[in-house]
Amino acid sequence: MTLKLTRRQFLEAGFTTAVVGLAGVPLKVLPAEAKGWTWDKSVCRFCGTGCGIQIATQAGRVVAVKGDPASPVNRGLLCAKGYACAQIPYGADRLKKPLLRKKGGKFHKQGDFEEVSWTEAFDVMKAEWTRAHQALGPTGVGVMGSGQYTIMEGYAAVKLVKGGWRSNNLDPNARHCMASAVTAFMQTFGIDEPAGCYDDIELTDTVVTWGANMAEMHPMLYARIVDEKLRRPGYKLLNLTTYSNATSEAADLEIVFKPNTDLAIWNYLAREVVKRGAVDQAYVDAHCVFAAGPVDIGFGLREDDAKAFAAEKETLARQRSIVLTRDEAIARGLDPATRHERPQSAANAAGKHWLISFEEFARGLEPYTLDFVAALAKGDPDEPLADFKAKLKLLADEYCDPGRKAVSFWTMGFNQHTRGTWVNEQAYMLHLLLGKQARPGNGAFSLTGQPSACGTAREVGTFAHRLPADMTVENPAHRTHTEEIWKLPHLAINPKVGSHITQMMRDLEDGKLRWLWVQVTNPFQSTANANHWIEAARKLDNFIVVSDVYPTLSCKVADLILPAAIMYEKWGGYGNSERRTQLWRQVVLPPGEARSDVWQMMEFSKRFTVAEVWGEQPVPGLEAEGFEKGKLPSILGAAEALGYKPSTTLHEVLFATKANRAVKWPDPVAAGKPNSTVTHGKLDWFPEKALFEEYASFGRGHGHDLAPFDVYLRDDVRGLRWPVVDGKETPWRFNDQYDPYARKGSGIDYYGAAMKKLKRGDLAGEQPGDPVGLAGKAKIFFRPWQEPPESPDAVFDLWLCTGRVLEHWHSGSMTRRVPSLHAAVPEALLFMHERDVAARGLSVGQLAWIESRRGRIQARVAVGGRNHVPRGTVYVPWFDEGVFINKLTLDATCPISKETDFKKCAVRISKVA
Amino acid sequence: MRHLARALAVSPLVALMVALLAPAREAGAAPPAAPRPISDKALGLSRISVFEVPSPPAWKAEEAAPGEKPVPARPFKEAPPVIPHAVADFLPITATQNLCVDCHAIDGPKKKGEPTPVPASHYVDLRHAPGKRGDKVAGARWVCISCHVGRTNAPPAVGSTFRP
Repeated sequence: MTLKLTRRQFLEAGFTTAVVGLAGVPLKVLPAEAKGWTWDKSVCRFCGTGCGIQIATQAGRVVAVKGDPASPVNRGLLCAKGYACAQIPYGADRLKKPLLRKKGGKFHKQGDFEEVSWTEAFDVMKAEWTRAHQALGPTGVGVMGSGQYTIMEGYAAVKLVKGGWRSNNLDPNARHCMASAVTAFMQTFGIDEPAGCYDDIELTDTVVTWGANMAEMHPMLYARIVDEKLRRPGYKLLNLTTYSNATSEAADLEIVFKPNTDLAIWNYLAREVVKRGAVDQAYVDAHCVFAAGPVDIGFGLREDDAKAFAAEKETLARQRSIVLTRDEAIARGLDPATRHERPQSAANAAGKHWLISFEEFARGLEPYTLDFVAALAKGDPDEPLADFKAKLKLLADEYCDPGRKAVSFWTMGFNQHTRGTWVNEQAYMLHLLLGKQARPGNGAFSLTGQPSACGTAREVGTFAHRLPADMTVENPAHRTHTEEIWKLPHLAINPKVGSHITQMMRDLEDGKLRWLWVQVTNPFQSTANANHWIEAARKLDNFIVVSDVYPTLSCKVADLILPAAIMYEKWGGYGNSERRTQLWRQVVLPPGEARSDVWQMMEFSKRFTVAEVWGEQPVPGLEAEGFEKGKLPSILGAAEALGYKPSTTLHEVLFATKANRAVKWPDPVAAGKPNSTVTHGKLDWFPEKALFEEYASFGRGHGHDLAPFDVYLRDDVRGLRWPVVDGKETPWRFNDQYDPYARKGSGIDYYGAAMKKLKRGDLAGEQPGDPVGLAGKAKIFFRPWQEPPESPDAVFDLWLCTGRVLEHWHSGSMTRRVPSLHAAVPEALLFMHERDVAARGLSVGQLAWIESRRGRIQARVAVGGRNHVPRGTVYVPWFDEGVFINKLTLDATCPISKETDFKKCAVRISKVA
Repeated sequence: MRHLARALAVSPLVALMVALLAPAREAGAAPPAAPRPISDKALGLSRISVFEVPSPPAWKAEEAAPGEKPVPARPFKEAPPVIPHAVADFLPITATQNLCVDCHAIDGPKKKGEPTPVPASHYVDLRHAPGKRGDKVAGARWVCISCHVGRTNAPPAVGSTFRP
């Protein structure tokens, strides 16, 4: 009874699908102006939740923020970081002038930083670009971007790097964040991004979090779960994690598993679904196929160890060949008493896959019995095995119950995983088998960490392999389509995938990348195995530019620092985890000579002529149909035919196009707000709106439809979940009741088109034959459990897990400058189990060395509090450059997604003498 | 007010940094003297070379008992106040236990020597029943420490020029 009432109230009060243009009552709830304050709607700067905020300004400064009561995401609440949005522009050491390393009045790699004009900064930056480009071609230059790029910034970067420079060396920090989610979406559904939305939190019966400490990392989504739990008896939260964390505090069940064994737990669950007859046969028959792929795909490490520290070589050897452990042999149905060596020969074909039968799928699951998995996966050595077994069984009961809806959430625990693509796919495997996918209250839901990981990195396509709207540089039709929209000559776009962000670091170390522009990110702190990269940046012949609002660790290794405008000092848009696109107006001016990133890219593009970048270019390793091996052809002739002269600048080709210049500034949508990109560029057009509309043309009619720019800025709109068709947003994709792209009458239509023609095979491999079309189907993958590349041993005897804390965002460049957040968590602590502390002669608060095969740092010991780690595991947050934990982490990646596993490597801990 | 001043106190090193960067901030003023070159060590929060391995300082979590210290001033009216007392003993907040609410869910206005009352806004369920005051703290606000942070004795890493 209570349940029904709750649901009805929910539907009446909270559950709204925004229909633009039909809204009878405007949602305008901005408070009346008080004491000269002006309130505007905006978006939180931080995580992927995408909370709506209201921002107050007075006399050109931000003076307050509050949660937006009209935002369906957060209904008036914000977390501690969200409230700090008002203060983040105002750290005392805000960058306000370009800073260049100089000696004797000119650029010098070993000089100290001196203030320079933007003209001098761009002059040197361009000269160094040309030096690298002349030596190495388009692969010698690169840009590291961000899931914190606005949509327009990401789009400008894609155009400049891929369309202008013909380089695909553009990759975001989002590679470290959710690349595995992307590859799993593409392989499973043929299209990126979640089926469901946050409304599922209120509509489901069971929430299962896997490797997602929502209480700290997505606090306002956790608030919705806790709210529902307090309102509705029987609503459950189950938390699967490698250590007891804050999300466990309100959970009904906590399962602490051993790192990497999530793969085995999923297979146990799938085996149970099959054995218990819980498969939703009608759903699977109508909407799914079964698939498998190669198994020995390596760990995304360097193929050779020429640059490795001596101690690293041991781990690197596993990239070439592994000897199966006893458990791995059992999991593969092999004799555990025999030695099985397996070369990692499938590393280059890691993403390949083929169809298998249901019987083959079930055969793959067979070794994953409760007994096997419980013994393998139990993460707390002090927990009795029987208790752990009972928990796994409860988890299976919960998923299998046909009367209960279930949502699985995950974040970095899955994505940052050397089998990240696989473990994402396993979540879909289970939900598809149960028919609990793409239905209200039912679904496997990948959460993102950054405010526009979805909206920019993924949707715009700032990855080394991507073009806008899920297209890729490898696909000739996609290149042609993009060249047409961008009015570029045919064969302008480089067909060879560029270097992913970790590879760019390796390229820097190898001298293959000599010019790098870092925007809206801090990669020298955030990339694993950092000792290599800071050494390469400072000691080799290369030029590193960092655009940022504060002097970050990456600024310290840079050669040129460019002062950037922060979020509320520019126009922009973000897309959150539930496909909600939210745009905002600039409300204050950037300080000093700080400039928007869009201005920076557009100004820099003025220094390139077509003649300089569109001649024949070397691209080592390029092999593509229609291209000479290792070369991009000259497109100067074709450019001339399109009306471009050799002296035409990239600025004219890419940004100040006729269509863009027709999008005029001033614009009534601005409602009196400034646009510093316009002011600093002395423009009469509106770059952010023009770029947004041009970008949106890629997705409209292709399942990624965005509404017109102005719609998002209306007072009665709080973002819209794409696809937005006929003014209506889509809460659940692939479901014909909600998604206009799903074929009417299909019920569910997995219409994504990528990778939808596969050959047949069995668990061992693909078989000859014609590929089969899979229109409308999702793939249920069998993916095995395997050992990670590095596990604790006698020398490095502890697991290290890294992550965030509630109070700080990423590397802390903004939040550590907010006094209350810094005072709350002033440094990263080393969370240990009390017995591990005692065994090393340490005590709480004491300094300890933490050492891996890659480096060593110091941190202070903590026991308990938010993180209760089991014996054998330690946890260190990564926000603190003074506790530079990424000097220790392993740069192993998922071989399919190239996303680094920051969650597990081996360390040892000792007292600081 | 004295408390706020202390909370915003800046270490001498930071003050020096700010002073170094100050000329750049005064656009439009008299032409400043050429600023001194800045070593990369002097930049950022750690103020050491990226190759150095520092020994992190020891900070102390707030140890005051509830009521012992005044409620700190907020940076702006809408900001959730910092918790001015030790919190470890009152955590965790679970689905059935919330020691913060046990003390603070009292009627306002604040009386001397008593806990700060949970404000009226916290009784409104903005998702399910906006506009109505409920009889208990809204479920979405149950986990107090999502918004209200604790504190240590660490001074600001750099100063802040924010003012409401």
